[in-house]
Amino acid sequence: MHLFGEHFIFFGAALVVVSILAGMLSNRIGAPLLLVFLGLGMLAGEDGPGGVHFDDFAAAYLLGSVALAVILFDGGLRTPVRTFRLALWPATSLATFGVVLTAIITGAVAALLFDFGWIGGLLVGATVASTDAAAVFLLLHAKGVRIEERVSATLEVESGINDPMAVFLTVMFAELARAGGTAPGLEIAVNFVFQMAGGAAIGIVGGYALAWLVNRVEIATGLYPILVVAAAVTIFGGTHLSGASGFLAVYVAGFVFGNRRHRAARAINRFHDGLAWMCQIGLFLMLGMLVTPHEMALELGQGVVIAAVLILVARPLAVWIGLLPFRFAWREVAFISWVGLRGAVPIFLATVPVLAGVPGGTTYFSVAFVVVLTSLVLQGWSINFAARLLRLVLPPVPEEANRFDLDLPTGTDREIAGYRLAPDSRALTYPYHAIPLPRRTRILTVIREGTVMDRGKLPSLRIGDYVLALGPPEQLHALDGLFASHRHDEEEDELRGREFGDFMLGADAPAGMVADLYGVPVDPDERNLPLGAFLKRRLPPRPVVGDWVKVGEVELVVTELIDDAIAKIGVALEPETRKLTIARARQRMREEIARAWRRLQRLGRRRRT
Amino acid sequence: MEIVDLLGPEAVIGQLKVTSKKQALQELAQRAARLTGIQERTIFDVLIERERLGTTGVGHGIAIPHGKLPGLAQLRGLFARCDHPIDFDSIDEMPVDLIFVLLAPDTAGADHLKALARVSRLFRDRAMCEKLRGTSDPEALYALLTSKTNGGH
Repeated sequence: MHLFGEHFIFFGAALVVVSILAGMLSNRIGAPLLLVFLGLGMLAGEDGPGGVHFDDFAAAYLLGSVALAVILFDGGLRTPVRTFRLALWPATSLATFGVVLTAIITGAVAALLFDFGWIGGLLVGATVASTDAAAVFLLLHAKGVRIEERVSATLEVESGINDPMAVFLTVMFAELARAGGTAPGLEIAVNFVFQMAGGAAIGIVGGYALAWLVNRVEIATGLYPILVVAAAVTIFGGTHLSGASGFLAVYVAGFVFGNRRHRAARAINRFHDGLAWMCQIGLFLMLGMLVTPHEMALELGQGVVIAAVLILVARPLAVWIGLLPFRFAWREVAFISWVGLRGAVPIFLATVPVLAGVPGGTTYFSVAFVVVLTSLVLQGWSINFAARLLRLVLPPVPEEANRFDLDLPTGTDREIAGYRLAPDSRALTYPYHAIPLPRRTRILTVIREGTVMDRGKLPSLRIGDYVLALGPPEQLHALDGLFASHRHDEEEDELRGREFGDFMLGADAPAGMVADLYGVPVDPDERNLPLGAFLKRRLPPRPVVGDWVKVGEVELVVTELIDDAIAKIGVALEPETRKLTIARARQRMREEIARAWRRLQRLGRRRRT
Repeated sequence: MEIVDLLGPEAVIGQLKVTSKKQALQELAQRAARLTGIQERTIFDVLIERERLGTTGVGHGIAIPHGKLPGLAQLRGLFARCDHPIDFDSIDEMPVDLIFVLLAPDTAGADHLKALARVSRLFRDRAMCEKLRGTSDPEALYALLTSKTNGGH
């Protein structure tokens, strides 16, 4: 079959539809989504029932670059300043030093065990050395799981900025492999510094320029997202032409742009969300089709061994050393090591040796593919379990889910929040005129069964009413408390109890009083300190929610931050029930299996009905 | 440490008729004063002092006010089920209808924490809470609270 005309249109579009539906299914059984796309691509390809023969590495490289640029831009767009501040240095360490170390260890083992030779081995190491932005963003933001911010921020920023190093190493080793191995000189180091610095600089300037442009031009709302994506790809392409790293530039530009106030923010974010999805699906389908499974099968053994070395030795070692200066807890280091997800980038990078004409180029491609598959299966599937085991899962922010926000033009300092009243909304317990609205907020309208109610005559609100309230952003939380549902599910409750302790204290409680009550040892000069400050002295420089420290017989846990400052502190009275033991790990494992089983059963039920 | 070691049958109130957090703490302090022989005002102050550090309304309609009381001979619990749920500044902002007061001698260290943890665990058992809400008979409540099977390890 040839990919031309109608065949191509029908086949391509249908494949995307099937992918999305299959993705929905995979969500229910907890399979990593990207794996499903990759698998479908393979099924559509030459060895599968689809039978499409696609081996145009140059086209794949081109399309893959654009898709990656869009995914990275979207990732940057969604990265809050706080995440960056929290993770910039650890992530930079992992993205530079960490990638090199990963590549060298993996490469050395590959060279020793298999017949790649030194340069070839290092080339293999380089292709698989960076973590994947698409996979990391997707898995860390999976619905319903909130992972401790220090690790999620580090993983996210790392995946956003570590591609340049991997690209750089791959291109370097590919050149060496082709030319027959001349030693790298000073020139190469200068080149690298230029790639990083140039990429970052162009990204920053590009991001500001883009925000300026969007706020300056008057065009149809629907055009803004298109303008932005075109500009993003322009930045990517332009940076590449200049010789700097386009991947870094486009991520940084997305970050700068996303954190500047600009017009049509909601439209742009929505569009990019959809577009990033599209690119992920397209990218993984394409790479799945590109691989030739029966050839890959020949490299299966090699690939699995290299994946094992990467996952079990190279990554943990690189992460451990790379994070040494940053005082991460061992649980955090362990999680970051485990979640070194590989995705499109290694496969994409493995097209470089093929395109560069390195002898045996397709071997690199097959090996990279096996490594990615292994990583997605093993790590992708177990990420939630690992987080739970290492106590890095936080109870979800309860009210977030059932509020819908409306966008107001820039510069108004007010937001509109909408709620559909649930049976347990607190506002229902008051007569309408007596609802204790937070300061500077007001109810704009009440809609009952499609009718706008006359608020002057309304005795009280009812379940199912829609309420639109206006208020400054800092009061939204108080509005949530009034109108949003307070329902929790039991699993959440258990998690909350386990992670946030038995009682909640304000950060301004005097440490001395808390000490007397709960037997916390304090220095005499610390007695008058607020508990927040007392706790902060015992934590890493930027505390995050979920950080805890054992003092005396109890543990103090950071449970809420406001503007980076500790606001609420949990007291866990029985720290020994929180500790990670083998028995408890087995218990978690059983819970996890039970959870997966329930999901499968639900799936079965849904099918039958 | 079991609930039965903290709570006597005379310390269970089936229908506490109060409308505010302050009133509830006053009523309970009064009750505790009768049981311990310590001044009501002292007990009330200790409980209010503790609330200032952060609410003991732990969510789901449950509050566990507690504190250390100089001159108290032993750990003392008090349980009350409110007639009507009251606002308690709870962490989930839901009104409270089940209140367990735990008072400890100011010399009690580990025991106090163990007892408090035990009470906290008791009320994490949702089924238990529903049962407690289902009756206002003090004897039935006492039996539920001290039953061997509740919320143990």
